[in-house]
Amino acid sequence: MKSFELYDATSVQEAVALLSKFGPTSKVVAGGSDLVTGIMKDWVRGKGMPYPEKLIDITTIPEMVGIKVANNALTVGAATTLSSIVDSADIKKTWPILSQSAESVASPLIRNFATLGGNINQRPRCWFFRGENFACYKKGGDFCFAVTGDNRYHAIIGGELCYIVHPSDTATALLALNAKATIAGPSGQREVPFDTYFTGPREDVLRENLLKHDELLVNVTVPQPAANTRMAFFKLKDRQVYDFALCSVAAVFTEENGVWKDGRVVLGGVSPVPYRAKVVEEALAGKNIKQAAKDAAGRIRTVARPMSLNGYKVDIAVGLIERVLTSALV
Amino acid sequence: MAKVDVIRAIQDHRYANSLTPDEWRQFANHPEWDLLAGEMPEVIAPFVQKYGDKLPFPTASTERAANPSLAATNFSVLGTRVRRLQGPGTVSGQGRYTQHIVPGGTLFMKTLRSPHPHAKVLKVDTSKAEKLPGVHYILHRGNLPKEYQDVRLGGGPPYRDLFNEEIYEVGSPVAAIAADSEHIADEAMRLIEVQYEVMSPALNFMEAMKSSTPKQWDNKLDGTTINVESPFKRGDIAKGMADAEVTVENVSTRATEQHMALEMTTSVGWWNNDKFTMVYTNQHSHGTRDGLAQALKLPQNKVRVIQPGYVGSGYGYRSGIDLAEVHVALLSKLTGRPVRFMYTREEDFVTRTHRPQFYNEMKLGVKKDGTITGLQGKVVANVGAQRASAASGSWYGIQHTYKIPNMQLEAVDVFTNSYKSGPYRCVSHPSGTLAIETLIDMAAYKIGMDPLELRLKNLNLTGNVDTKKPFSNPGIETCLREAAKVVGWKDKFHKPRAKEVRPGVFHGIAVVANCCNHGAGTGSATGSCIITSDGSLQVISASNDIGSGQRTQQAIIAAETVGIPLERTSIAFEVDTDFNSDSGGTNGSRQTNTAGWGMYEAAMDAKNQALDWAAKKMIDDAKKANQTLNVKADDLDIVKGEVVMKSDPTKKVALRDVIAFATGPIIGRGLHIQDPTWERTAFFAAACEVEVDTLTGTVAVTKYVSAHDVGRAINPFILEQQIEGGVIMGIGAALHEEMLIDQATGLPINPNILDYKALSIKDVPRTIDVVIVEHPKDYGVYGAHGVGEPPINPPAAVIANAVYNAIGVRVDRMPITRDKILAALKTV
Repeated sequence: MKSFELYDATSVQEAVALLSKFGPTSKVVAGGSDLVTGIMKDWVRGKGMPYPEKLIDITTIPEMVGIKVANNALTVGAATTLSSIVDSADIKKTWPILSQSAESVASPLIRNFATLGGNINQRPRCWFFRGENFACYKKGGDFCFAVTGDNRYHAIIGGELCYIVHPSDTATALLALNAKATIAGPSGQREVPFDTYFTGPREDVLRENLLKHDELLVNVTVPQPAANTRMAFFKLKDRQVYDFALCSVAAVFTEENGVWKDGRVVLGGVSPVPYRAKVVEEALAGKNIKQAAKDAAGRIRTVARPMSLNGYKVDIAVGLIERVLTSALV
Repeated sequence: MAKVDVIRAIQDHRYANSLTPDEWRQFANHPEWDLLAGEMPEVIAPFVQKYGDKLPFPTASTERAANPSLAATNFSVLGTRVRRLQGPGTVSGQGRYTQHIVPGGTLFMKTLRSPHPHAKVLKVDTSKAEKLPGVHYILHRGNLPKEYQDVRLGGGPPYRDLFNEEIYEVGSPVAAIAADSEHIADEAMRLIEVQYEVMSPALNFMEAMKSSTPKQWDNKLDGTTINVESPFKRGDIAKGMADAEVTVENVSTRATEQHMALEMTTSVGWWNNDKFTMVYTNQHSHGTRDGLAQALKLPQNKVRVIQPGYVGSGYGYRSGIDLAEVHVALLSKLTGRPVRFMYTREEDFVTRTHRPQFYNEMKLGVKKDGTITGLQGKVVANVGAQRASAASGSWYGIQHTYKIPNMQLEAVDVFTNSYKSGPYRCVSHPSGTLAIETLIDMAAYKIGMDPLELRLKNLNLTGNVDTKKPFSNPGIETCLREAAKVVGWKDKFHKPRAKEVRPGVFHGIAVVANCCNHGAGTGSATGSCIITSDGSLQVISASNDIGSGQRTQQAIIAAETVGIPLERTSIAFEVDTDFNSDSGGTNGSRQTNTAGWGMYEAAMDAKNQALDWAAKKMIDDAKKANQTLNVKADDLDIVKGEVVMKSDPTKKVALRDVIAFATGPIIGRGLHIQDPTWERTAFFAAACEVEVDTLTGTVAVTKYVSAHDVGRAINPFILEQQIEGGVIMGIGAALHEEMLIDQATGLPINPNILDYKALSIKDVPRTIDVVIVEHPKDYGVYGAHGVGEPPINPPAAVIANAVYNAIGVRVDRMPITRDKILAALKTV
């Protein structure tokens, strides 16, 4: 790793000002578990991805750390650790899938450092992207090595140009919970629903969300679930500690007498962005969930475009959607 | 100086026949020979048979006494549960590992490595890197001092120079940088400009062995095939297959595995005038010393190697040096400063050695009553980018576990421009176990016989039927029966795909038996100890502890043998080649019967001296009291640190008084000559239960039983942990672990702990039952047989068989990942 300069920001405005001043070689850092001990340690860089030279610490900004429940909504500062989320009784009680998704991340030691903002905005784990000697599209190169290479863990839905899967487990849960992100930039703060927060490769292959280099995620707001809301989350991983989702499913829906009224089914680990499975939701609308689950889950096959080695992930996604929908009813 | 090439001699009879008497002497002292003899005795067995008379080792006809340690009974510390002496240091962080040792003025080394699997280095331009403040020296092919330009490691061709011109693997060193900090060296590395001529690599070993693959050196064999072993033949294989009423055939494979020791390989070295000292995470300090001495062209007394006694494992790949450790020595010499090199996790994964990839093609013939009539097979191993042998190493368990009258085995080793092979816990044996144990199950299911019964019916309980060397008190039948009993075989075994425990989730069960020849013990079995003036015992051993309790074990053996309590016995954690005599590497599961034997002999020597002095003192005391006493050493014993009269234990002399009478401490020295009479074999059996989720392809091992004949349990506490650790590593390899390569570029894609999915603690079966079987061995110290490696041997075989029992379809290509399970399920 190369040496870098570290700045302790004390306010959101100061952090934004430092980002504006230093330009694209400056980066926001919180836990650093991906940026420092991943991207920088492994020299993940390229024409479209300069090596960070200045890091701006946001864990020193008081308003960015903490969990608040007010006005029927939950607000979590972006620099709040995943362990704090796991430990929060409020979150466990009202937004259990956020708690479960946070607990499914990495290991206890990493969760003590890693933050919600970092988990949402971390870079993908594609082994070609992470390899210093693979000059791939995502780093500003001119090739996707997954197309012809070992793509057993790559995208089965929505890949184009680049076939990463979005690595965040909390993002999968937050999208299902219809959460919003507060973003700060040079012109102030704005709120963006997670529906439009993530950026796929066809829009901009160099990033995974709409944050510009001088913007940062300040906090996340999650609305209080409506009455009769059911929710469930499951993350399938090859290893139970320290592994990313091979396929995860977050389902949040309202029902009456077992009949689907409204809700969301979101998949992680299958697409370059957390994937809202609208085909599944539409197939469930107005139907008895238990009876329709299998058929609805199968609809994912209509949008899946597996690659040479990852067809098995489609079967798994179908199976898991059905299992998660059923488990939410219990 | 021409250097003798051990690996080539073993593979190339013409070369072996050309060796001069002086080269044979070099050969016998070569660190690579020592490693092969300790870790891969089966690979060198045909060689030893042919050239044994050229080597200075004792033969079966050498006269020797019966094993005196077998007579011992009523142990005071041996067999009790003793904690590791380093335990508090390990858990508190106070233990001093190599990476904690940073002498003043240390420079930090980083290595620029090839990103190409096969290329020529045309030019190395270091001008930009040298301008970076803090960079002290950049060593590369272009400025390597002349005296080191012919230094090579390993066998050849192709050769491994300090910096190759023609590069055969990703990660081959191109330049080594010494700088004020790791960060500066890391940055400087990326400022070096290298011009390569990229050449075509061979990445797939099954393709590489074909004649259509371009040769990479003057090779008389096809493609990049590096060794074709003379086939092994027993009986008449045509008759064996003709006699069979049922035959089964199978292809099983194993992936390239890496050790993933938790501590990164680290060395720090410095020169004191013309003497070089290195602290190094290693499994054999003397082997490291000898390797460094050879590379640096120094006599062995001019190299000192220290192993700190706290080492985050080894598993085989730390038995000697690699190129980087020579680079450290040279950079230290050129800069006049200590130089430290800690591998990155990626370097540790890629550039050190691996368990090779295997392909097994096997056929077994049986009669309907379960009698085995013959076995025919071929093993191909991918030894990666170096000259090595691995394929024939997997024969041992196939040859000796069951009575098989007719057998023919072939073995081919193939070079590829990929991960180098080398010793990794049990090396090739687990692949042989997978090959034969899957066949045994297939045959049992096909003839409708209980797989346990078929095994019990065919167990070989006599010995090596080819050399006629007998087994010593083999415990394999006990292991097999116990493993079956503990797993609940009688009640739980069922027909394939017959037990759905939850919707879509199926239960499976299997039991296997096998054997390997690790744990035997080899030469260099030395040790020493001192009975100090207060009657304490100081244990001096070069047994390298790599976390598995070797130092504790030496203390136990010494304390038990002399008769001094363990609390009054001490052993330093460090091994220092300037202070200890060679006791073989901590590899081949041999420390029990190598250092352990040396220590037994040393302790007996010290004890005999003490008893001699005690007898003299008692006679002298009597004389002073105007009495006469007739007592000989044989009449005395040492019990709880005191010399007692055997006939009347109330008559005692304190050891400190004996030492005072002797006027100086007693120094015991030991050299044990191994007994070559026996086929030294580790016997074991394993059983497991799995649950296979047919929706996700997840295989969960819910219960695992590992039964081992250890001869004698010297320290059951650490023994159980050693077995559990091996089981966990073996399950990881069976279900997940696999070093992958991008076929387009030849680059590794998962050389890190995240993507190389060794088990986490939450993936470990809730129950691992360890069954210790004690059938004392005639050749073993106190009857013991080493057990470091065997526990990793059967997991792949027993899990593959249990998966078949669960889902009714075989998945015998390791690792058994969910994509393979789901694909297999689509075929039924």
